[in-house]
Amino acid sequence: MGDLKTKKGIKKVLYGNHAVSYGVKVSRAQVISAYPITPQTQVVELLSEMVGKGELDATFVNVESEHSAMAVCIGASITGVRTFTATSAQGLLLMHELLHWAAGDRLPIVMAVINRAVAAPWSIWSDQNDSLSQRDTGWMKIYCESNQEVLDSVILAYKVSEKVFLPSMLVLDAFILSHTAEPVEVPAQEEVDEFLPPLELPHALTPEKPYAIGAVVMPDGPYMELRYKIQKAMEKAIPEIEKACNEFYELFGRKWEFVEEFMMDDADVVLITSGAVSSTVKYTVNEIRKREGKKIGVLRMRILRPFHFEKIRKILSGRKKVIVLDRNISFGLGGIFFNEIRSSLYSVSEKPILLGYIWGLGGRDITPKDVEGVIKDAEKREKDEDIIFWGLKKENINL
Amino acid sequence: MAERIRYKNIDEIPDVALSTGTTRVLKTGSWRNVKPVIENKAAPCLKACPLGTKIPHYFYWIIEKDLEKAADVLLERNPFPAITGRVCPAFCQIGCNRKRFDERISIRELERYVGDYIIKRGYKIKELPSDTGKRIAVIGSGPAGMAVAYFLRRYGHSVTIFERESKPGGVLRYGIPSYRLPKDILDKEFEMLLNMGIKIETNKELGKDVYLDELRQKFDAVFIGIGAWVEKRMRMEGEENLLSGVHFLKDVNEGKETSKFKGKKVAVIGAGNVAMDVVRTLKRIGAEPCILYRRTEKEMPALEEEREKAKADGIPFHFLTLPIKAENRNGKILLTNQKMKLGEPDKSGRRRPIPIEGSEFQEEYDFVIKAIGEEADRKILPEEYLGEDGWPYADKKTGATKVEGVFAGGDFIQGPSTVVEAEAWAQRAARSIDRFLKGEDINVKEIPPRTVSFMLIRTEYFDKAPAIHPQELSVEERIKSFEEEVKTFSEEMALKEAKRCFSCGYCNSCGNCYVYCPDMSILWKDGKPVVDYDFCKGCGVCASECPRGIIQMVSEI
Repeated sequence: MGDLKTKKGIKKVLYGNHAVSYGVKVSRAQVISAYPITPQTQVVELLSEMVGKGELDATFVNVESEHSAMAVCIGASITGVRTFTATSAQGLLLMHELLHWAAGDRLPIVMAVINRAVAAPWSIWSDQNDSLSQRDTGWMKIYCESNQEVLDSVILAYKVSEKVFLPSMLVLDAFILSHTAEPVEVPAQEEVDEFLPPLELPHALTPEKPYAIGAVVMPDGPYMELRYKIQKAMEKAIPEIEKACNEFYELFGRKWEFVEEFMMDDADVVLITSGAVSSTVKYTVNEIRKREGKKIGVLRMRILRPFHFEKIRKILSGRKKVIVLDRNISFGLGGIFFNEIRSSLYSVSEKPILLGYIWGLGGRDITPKDVEGVIKDAEKREKDEDIIFWGLKKENINL
Repeated sequence: MAERIRYKNIDEIPDVALSTGTTRVLKTGSWRNVKPVIENKAAPCLKACPLGTKIPHYFYWIIEKDLEKAADVLLERNPFPAITGRVCPAFCQIGCNRKRFDERISIRELERYVGDYIIKRGYKIKELPSDTGKRIAVIGSGPAGMAVAYFLRRYGHSVTIFERESKPGGVLRYGIPSYRLPKDILDKEFEMLLNMGIKIETNKELGKDVYLDELRQKFDAVFIGIGAWVEKRMRMEGEENLLSGVHFLKDVNEGKETSKFKGKKVAVIGAGNVAMDVVRTLKRIGAEPCILYRRTEKEMPALEEEREKAKADGIPFHFLTLPIKAENRNGKILLTNQKMKLGEPDKSGRRRPIPIEGSEFQEEYDFVIKAIGEEADRKILPEEYLGEDGWPYADKKTGATKVEGVFAGGDFIQGPSTVVEAEAWAQRAARSIDRFLKGEDINVKEIPPRTVSFMLIRTEYFDKAPAIHPQELSVEERIKSFEEEVKTFSEEMALKEAKRCFSCGYCNSCGNCYVYCPDMSILWKDGKPVVDYDFCKGCGVCASECPRGIIQMVSEI
């Protein structure tokens, strides 16, 4: 944690879900629309209270489905107001069509996704497949580790979205973050106002300037060019994110970057993680280093889209072994983070040994013992292995 | 179509696909195969009202606090709202859709509220049509006569009413006690008829002072509405010792001396509305009345409301009791009664009373009044006016008698009935007379309006709220005098109650269709929704979100 110079904010003990709500509040969202779903509901529950009490000057729109929630956000956002929604798992999947629409219309909507395993069978516990199934929708994606990071990332998400006009998805783990309380600093409103000016949407729809948006474009029309522009916006987002993170650090003293490097300076073996489990991994790695002096480090992936190839390449180049820990799976391919990391290493001349572990699906607990197990297992492996299921109860199943 | 834009380079292309011109060139209405039709329909209350009073329509103006407009709408079909607002059994309320949601609307009280407003502001009808030069004689100034005169005047005809009594009003004045209908209300309503240019000649009795043949010669048409004033006979021994209920009420209503009843034991035979008026009037003049009725409470012909009020007034009801003999014993009446039991239902559907052998018993009363029902004077008209059953006849739909140019109605034809039913008969008769005078066919084929059932009401748009009931005098207060026992709604009460109305079938400009139309194809013109068929795709959202069943989807294939 950096130099805490201003400190006008106040500390609160907040659930991850409520950290989202406070982040939205200080970001002065103007239209909020959501449909309840476990484990998301607390987010909008608190927001509706804030709106109801007049603490947040926003319109809260109750809807009958997540599809409509996103539709409301799109409709509101087109008029140039700051919008927010939150969901999980099945609710996110129901929104799918409109996620493409939000990105295609270049709307700076921010959404919190509380990662929850996707049915069938039913599960309400943490895993990343819901958010990762929306990987290619044109949304920026931030994976958080702590409740403070959650709150700060809401503000950062608006900041960057409103620079490049792409929507942002803020991802946090079901229950492990969403329903766990941690001390969180809620920044002072005037400081956030300084950091995050009101939204100015260049293509805002007004009664004075009516137009139709997103209507049909012929094959020789600018459809492909508009897609090109989305890609360019994603590329532009990389320096914008860096800039915003630096500015945020200046103001609030907390440094959030594309990736977090932990004990990486001399590490031969790198464990790549994302989300809340990163804390468990970092703790265990620290213990092993103290105990055995092994040169192990942790790289936490914070932002998945835009994907910062250059940075990943630079960090991983020359390492001996890279272990990617995925709480998700693309059936028939493997861990999703694993495959993204692997593709980024294609042009690296000295490739590390790459190992892909799948663990913690459907909220299965991941403990320091698991982390040690993975490290020991990886030590034995001298060639690439794409898919290693960790923690599978293959024998004597007794669940 | 908008012109095609050529971009010089990729940076010139905007980030988002925006139309450069209006999309109104795309008439998406051509995609449609069902169309929404916005059309007012009949509310069940309107359909249940014999007069067809446009109830939700004038409620709308109550809510808008424009009582002038409310009065105009009400008076279109309902000639005397201050009267029916007091004495009507309110068939409308029985049909009210809201009763399936929480409680029916107090429609009668709202009618009375507007009726009293009309009296207060001075009774006038806007824009009476110019005089047609046709003259109609109306015999009788009860509800039927008053109403037919009113409607005929609104058609532009001249009307003269001939009334047997010294004051007009018929049963309204001489039958209904003033605690239910104060005389000044009645007088005001007549003032209105006079203001409209209707002439009233009192003390003119048919067959004595005026003659039908003479009237037929002098006038272009005649309407007979002389009511049913002949007390039915019980065919019991000593019936001449009994007083008549209708005569008793007439005496009291005329302000005749009633002190002879004070503190006296009075039996009233019968359980209809007249019987209820008689016992409740007796109670107010200090007598000790009771009801003798040969069937049970369930078979009573009186309106439930009247029955309950009589019971609340503390009047004893002796059921299954039939007087069979009345003897005059030194000015007192010794009644011999027989106990009855109920047998099989008769043609009225009520169980027939059967005497119990040997159950006779005697009871002495100071007075006994019979109120077992009235009928028309069947001897007053010559034979050509009588039907096959020997009673005066007029067609139910047109009011026409068998004699050309002569019409009749109200209790005189249909037997003792309600004020509103007499007025409704008059409404139909007035239309027939108008058509007759114009030389048109008086038989009009009526297409009943479509009714909005409870199923078509989107109850999710309404909050539950109990009905507002009028203030009433307490039983202790009301039995001491003839003061009107029910009070008119205050403005606050009226607004609250009118706002409860679903407004079934009547568009009250709630704007739901306008708000929910996803294609902005509901336009708003002069405060009402209009479908823009050029663009409406026929999705049906407006129809499904209309809370009151006004919008229907109609196939266009």
